[in-house]
Amino acid sequence: MSGGVPDGSPSPARFVWGSVGMGWRWLTRMRTALWMLLWLGVLTAVATVVPQAPNVPSTVEAWLAGEEGPGAGVSQLLLQVGAFDVYGAPIFLALLLALFLSLTACLIPRIRAWVRLVRYSRPPLLRAGSGNIAATYVTSRTPDEVLDAADAQLAASRVLGWPRWRVRRAETGEEGAPAQVAAETGLWSREGGSLTFHLSFYVLLAAIVFGQLLTFEGQRGVIEGEPGFTDAAVSYWMYDPGRWFAEDEHTGWRLDLDGFAVDWIRDPLAPGAGQPTTFRSDVSITRADGTSFEGVVEGNRPLTVDGRKIHQLDWGYATRMIVREDGRVVHDAFVTTQDRTGFFAGAVKAPAAEPDVGLELFLYPFAPDGPDGPRLTGAPWAEAPILLVSQWTGDLQLGLTQQFINELDVSALELGGIGWLRPGDTLAFDGPGGTIEVEFAELRRWVGFQVSYRPQLPWLLLAGGLLSVGLITALYAYRRRVWVVVDGETKDGRTLYRVVGRAFQRQDVAEEEHAALAAALAGRLDAERVDEERVPEGADA
Amino acid sequence: MTQAELADLSRILYSPVTLAHYVGAAVVLLGALTQNVDGGKPAGGVRGLLTRRVGLALAWTGVATHVAHEVVRGLAQSRLPLGNMFEVTSLMALVGVAGGLWYVRSRRRDELAGFVMLCGTLVLGLALLMYAEPGPLMPILDTWWRHFHVSLLVGGMGVFAAGFVFIALYLLADTARGEDGRGPGAGGGRVHGPDGPESGLAAEPGSVAVATEALTAAALRARIPAVKLAVGTFLGTSLVSWVWAVSMDPTADGVRRMLTVNATMVVAALVARHFAPYLPSTDVLDSVAHRLVAFAFVLWTVGTIAGAMWAEQSWGRFWGWDPKETGAFLAWVAYAGYLHGRATRGVRGRRAAWIGVGAFVTLMATYLVANYVIVGLHSYAGL
Repeated sequence: MSGGVPDGSPSPARFVWGSVGMGWRWLTRMRTALWMLLWLGVLTAVATVVPQAPNVPSTVEAWLAGEEGPGAGVSQLLLQVGAFDVYGAPIFLALLLALFLSLTACLIPRIRAWVRLVRYSRPPLLRAGSGNIAATYVTSRTPDEVLDAADAQLAASRVLGWPRWRVRRAETGEEGAPAQVAAETGLWSREGGSLTFHLSFYVLLAAIVFGQLLTFEGQRGVIEGEPGFTDAAVSYWMYDPGRWFAEDEHTGWRLDLDGFAVDWIRDPLAPGAGQPTTFRSDVSITRADGTSFEGVVEGNRPLTVDGRKIHQLDWGYATRMIVREDGRVVHDAFVTTQDRTGFFAGAVKAPAAEPDVGLELFLYPFAPDGPDGPRLTGAPWAEAPILLVSQWTGDLQLGLTQQFINELDVSALELGGIGWLRPGDTLAFDGPGGTIEVEFAELRRWVGFQVSYRPQLPWLLLAGGLLSVGLITALYAYRRRVWVVVDGETKDGRTLYRVVGRAFQRQDVAEEEHAALAAALAGRLDAERVDEERVPEGADA
Repeated sequence: MTQAELADLSRILYSPVTLAHYVGAAVVLLGALTQNVDGGKPAGGVRGLLTRRVGLALAWTGVATHVAHEVVRGLAQSRLPLGNMFEVTSLMALVGVAGGLWYVRSRRRDELAGFVMLCGTLVLGLALLMYAEPGPLMPILDTWWRHFHVSLLVGGMGVFAAGFVFIALYLLADTARGEDGRGPGAGGGRVHGPDGPESGLAAEPGSVAVATEALTAAALRARIPAVKLAVGTFLGTSLVSWVWAVSMDPTADGVRRMLTVNATMVVAALVARHFAPYLPSTDVLDSVAHRLVAFAFVLWTVGTIAGAMWAEQSWGRFWGWDPKETGAFLAWVAYAGYLHGRATRGVRGRRAAWIGVGAFVTLMATYLVANYVIVGLHSYAGL
């Protein structure tokens, strides 16, 4: 590695330089890299066990409040060390940086060595101890014929039209070695595969980083049959653009939800009871130039418009609620309710009333009438929907406190009354500002769509491809050498030759290949195998 | 036949039919080892060879009934049985057993088949703990992406499991034999022929009496402390099986299941200890384990990439650090550590083996944790 330390005369500059050199060598050691990999694993283990704020913010809040998890005290400690957002924590980024630095420092000399190897390497000649697989043969051909045949045999083996082996023919006395054919292969593939595998991480990292900057993701709920939304920054309920994503990159198409189909296995005794069977949105898309088309969004089939992918994220029932105060309409709109397992919850906020009126809505989609009033089954299909309304009056605190669209802040509200509503029913409550009439006018469904733009996908795919191909090559390609060397003559004038092999990896496969090669060569030369112990007399090595 | 009858048939085919075959095959194949004098090579006589043939026949019949179970289950629910944890784990056992038997056959190491069956029995039993009646599939899972993604990962887990068995056997054999048990070619290349007589029982083939054989076996076995092995296995298994104690309701049931799993693993470890003297050389075990882990790692990598591609298609994001994704990544890092440690020569032998054990614990723990404890996007009907 680089960074030589000058010998120890005590000058501050030298000390610093020496320390940097030591640090660099420590960082680039394989052992350090393995430790860093271990720490990456430890951090990932933490992220598996501790809920992550970017994924499940509500669970993190519950942990911090002490409602779930190990308790509020431990959770505070976890928050301090950044355990709730491991992949956003400085320590993770520092580790990632150190890993890539270490990888780079390791790869640069390896790439240089590999390039030198594939460009200039010649198979070395056989010396004592070079090989670890050997077979001896005897043939009636001359030594030159043996070496010619070996040359031809090795040259015949090709990969994608290229010769598999690098072959070198040496006459007697060259480098003090006997006459032989030396060959080597696996120079490109083994190390090349490993380098490809490691270099794919840079492609992956670049795709992720630039992807983060260029990407855009937005979410928006749309009610069946109601006006949809236009692809523009202001229309999204949740808008998450990358730093380099400009608002004028929106192409201004418009989405309307014509219909949404959802169904389940309704028979409670059937296998898989309650599982959804259908989850599909029929949408109309109108492009900015006025052309329009109809499309379908399903579970595994997003719709792509102008390079933006549209997915279904969630859905719920939308109740049209009309609220009148002494006959004056103060609210008439669809309210999107959210699935709370067994019922759907939503809220109406009517600041137009004097004082403010708020409604908490609990929708039970399948609640047929029973002898004791509506029977709440908890099933999600809207066969017999009923709405439980609690009506509040006072100050909604809009603009004063942090508000959720589906929840009322009841801290400054007073409960006016509770009642059940079927679709079409109206309830009346007496309020301080007059009679409040609440009408459950209509029931529809809404779908939450996600729109995403990810220009990094082809690059990620490339990284994945390089990673897989590199890995498979690095694990299964192997470097090996083979020598065919003439050992001498027997007393009856026949030629004695050896086929020697050496595998750097995958010894067992190399042995099989070696046996096949030796047998094929023996076929060319009409040679027969002789064991080392039974070498015919008169042979000289 | 009606769907319900098919469902019943598939259950019977699984347990007791396949289970009994696997258990029987494991017992017979391991028993065959004790009849062979030259650890593995049936030089001592025809009896060991014959017993082994019976065991292999049992094992392959078990594989056939297992395949039959998968087919019938598929018919009963009109879909490929790759939809929930039971189905996944069952297929993992099938891949592990069929692949393992094929692998030891192709490497001419049939004496290892008994240990393969021991492992297959364990995974088969593990699946039984998660048994679910056949049922239809959620529409979100009904896509060829699932076959691609899930089968690669399940195959990877099966092969990782087989790799773990050989790593564990390596540790046992290494403990039993110590340094003196290493084959002559340890560390370097062997000289010609993968089947050299490298057994730890350095016996001349056919010349050692069975009585001496039994004595040597007992001496080797005694070098593995039984209590330490049992306690270690119990604690090691607890690193994974705590998930049941935490996640099941009531907790007593979960604790009972945890103890059952732990006890089974302890018994399996002690059985393996009993047969440890008949294992082939540590070099062979180490190399088999390494090849298996390398192959599984490729499956795991490609399967995870396929999962990211499916996630982009289905959820609109390719990677979101969902618990299961994080778990898959963690297992990947752990096995990358194992392979890397070996490849760069820093870590070999027992240390590499222990990293392999740790990686397998990580794999199984994240598999169970992400399914039972933490709710994430992957939590469909327990897959």
